[in-house]
Amino acid sequence: MTPPFIQTVHLEHTYAAEDGRAIPALRGIDLTIHRGEFVALVGPNGSGKSTLARHFNALLLPTAGEVWVDGLSTSDPRHVQAIRQRVGMVFQNPDNQIVAGTVEEDVAFGPENMGIPPAEIRWRVDEALEVVGMTDYRHHPPHMLSGGQKQRVAIAGALATRPHCIVLDEPTSMLDAEGRRQVLQTIRRLNAELGLTIILITQSMDEAALARRVLVMDGGRIVRDGPPEEVLEAPEVEGLGLGRPFATEVARRLRERGIPLPSGLLTVEALAAALLRE
Amino acid sequence: MHIRVDGLTHIYARGTPAERVALRGVNLEIGPGERVGISGPTGSGKSTLVQHIAGLLVPTAGQVLLDGVPAHARTPEARTRRRQVGLAFQFPEAQMFEVTVFREVAFGPRHLGLNTDEIAARVRWALEMVGLDPEAFADRVPFALSGGEMRRVALAGILALQPRVLILDEPTAGLDPRGRADILARLRAWQAQTGATLILVSHHLDEMAGLVDRVVLLADGQVVADGPTRQVLGDGDGLRSVGLSPPPSIALLEALRAAGWPVRTDAVDIEEVVAEIVPCMADQYHTKTQGHRERDNKLYRE
Repeated sequence: MTPPFIQTVHLEHTYAAEDGRAIPALRGIDLTIHRGEFVALVGPNGSGKSTLARHFNALLLPTAGEVWVDGLSTSDPRHVQAIRQRVGMVFQNPDNQIVAGTVEEDVAFGPENMGIPPAEIRWRVDEALEVVGMTDYRHHPPHMLSGGQKQRVAIAGALATRPHCIVLDEPTSMLDAEGRRQVLQTIRRLNAELGLTIILITQSMDEAALARRVLVMDGGRIVRDGPPEEVLEAPEVEGLGLGRPFATEVARRLRERGIPLPSGLLTVEALAAALLRE
Repeated sequence: MHIRVDGLTHIYARGTPAERVALRGVNLEIGPGERVGISGPTGSGKSTLVQHIAGLLVPTAGQVLLDGVPAHARTPEARTRRRQVGLAFQFPEAQMFEVTVFREVAFGPRHLGLNTDEIAARVRWALEMVGLDPEAFADRVPFALSGGEMRRVALAGILALQPRVLILDEPTAGLDPRGRADILARLRAWQAQTGATLILVSHHLDEMAGLVDRVVLLADGQVVADGPTRQVLGDGDGLRSVGLSPPPSIALLEALRAAGWPVRTDAVDIEEVVAEIVPCMADQYHTKTQGHRERDNKLYRE
């Protein structure tokens, strides 16, 4: 077994409210993620998903417990830079992540800040744009791009710092269907072809179905952890009001009407294939 | 209110290198009390179009008429009509600034020159409309609320103006599925109670299906489809041709139809989808069992 890439030990995080009250956002998280995993993190608004994700690259520090990234504790200030270099973040709103006047300058921003020599930056930027399929747009001003293209540039920016892992916090929630498709396809490639560890926070159970492991959060705790075909059909997950993937819900209703279908049908393609086989 | 969009063209940053044509001669009519969805890929002109309907932009060419009066005109008649159009941008809670929920929702009505009692009655009504108990929420600090609650307060602030036309730009963005379903149900109830016009701008075609009777599709600044929800969303190829993905219900039925199943491909509701599939399965089952029986009979005769 390889050593864990991210490990949290009894991680707690408490925010201070305006009136001084303590608001617990994470209540004891014990979690291990290995290199190369594709993990989806789901849960209702306010369940602690984003707070947890921000611990993975030391944007937040534990108020109790510990977080280890590639063997480095996030609580040790000497490790912060090394941790951020290993774990890249992509956020919800692409417009808040754009810093430069052209796509390639934007992608170069991260490695420049790390003090990488210019020749290597050139090479890294070209490669990152190639991976996300945005090479043709390298001289374009980012604000003229579509939402999906902007988000791919944001992913390229994270890639150019050569991370082992990318954490994406609802990267598709502001995109149209085509933008969502582009971004999800890119994420899958990063995992399948480059072997990057992916942590995808999402409100869409259809997106969670793409991962190989789904973590369900509620009230600052992880309440379920397993492969999507088990987790997304679990009754207690239904109780959280997260919904189900569309195909899973159709299959459930068909089963209620006496049509025998296997469980674990997460996508439209899988459901159509199962129906046609019947 | 009767809305008429007449040859509307909008060009941003005209005459500069950044010039961009957002709308190209759009014609559209929306009658009083209609529930209309506007969709289209990013950059298709949706937001520009609804800002024109709210009278917030001056057309490059053409015009928007609200009950016959140009929406952007600087006349008292135009101002009165603009006030009856409520527009909620994406993430409307980002524009909240008051110190209590009551003051936040009362902000609009106060500027309509209503007296204190009328304002209080409107705030109460609007909070109830969005499913927040006025007693429990009136004195709370808006920024200490959950994301879903903040969204509802922001929406109450617009409903308190009692608009005759309500335009919502992605009203459920960033909410969890339960929060999304709740907001949509509240909007449905509000529309049924007031009979106002509802214009919903959204990328989420499946979400739109439950709330609007008519869908207008924009692509590259032009109307490329306009018709009953079922007809527009059921046209998978039409959607794909402008870069939109059909809702999963349509994708599933298309796949079954391609394999020869006699299903309609314009079912937009999950129950409708199930209702299309069940009879086909029954037929198949029937055909199979009949086949078995014939084979058995044959064996028996032999």
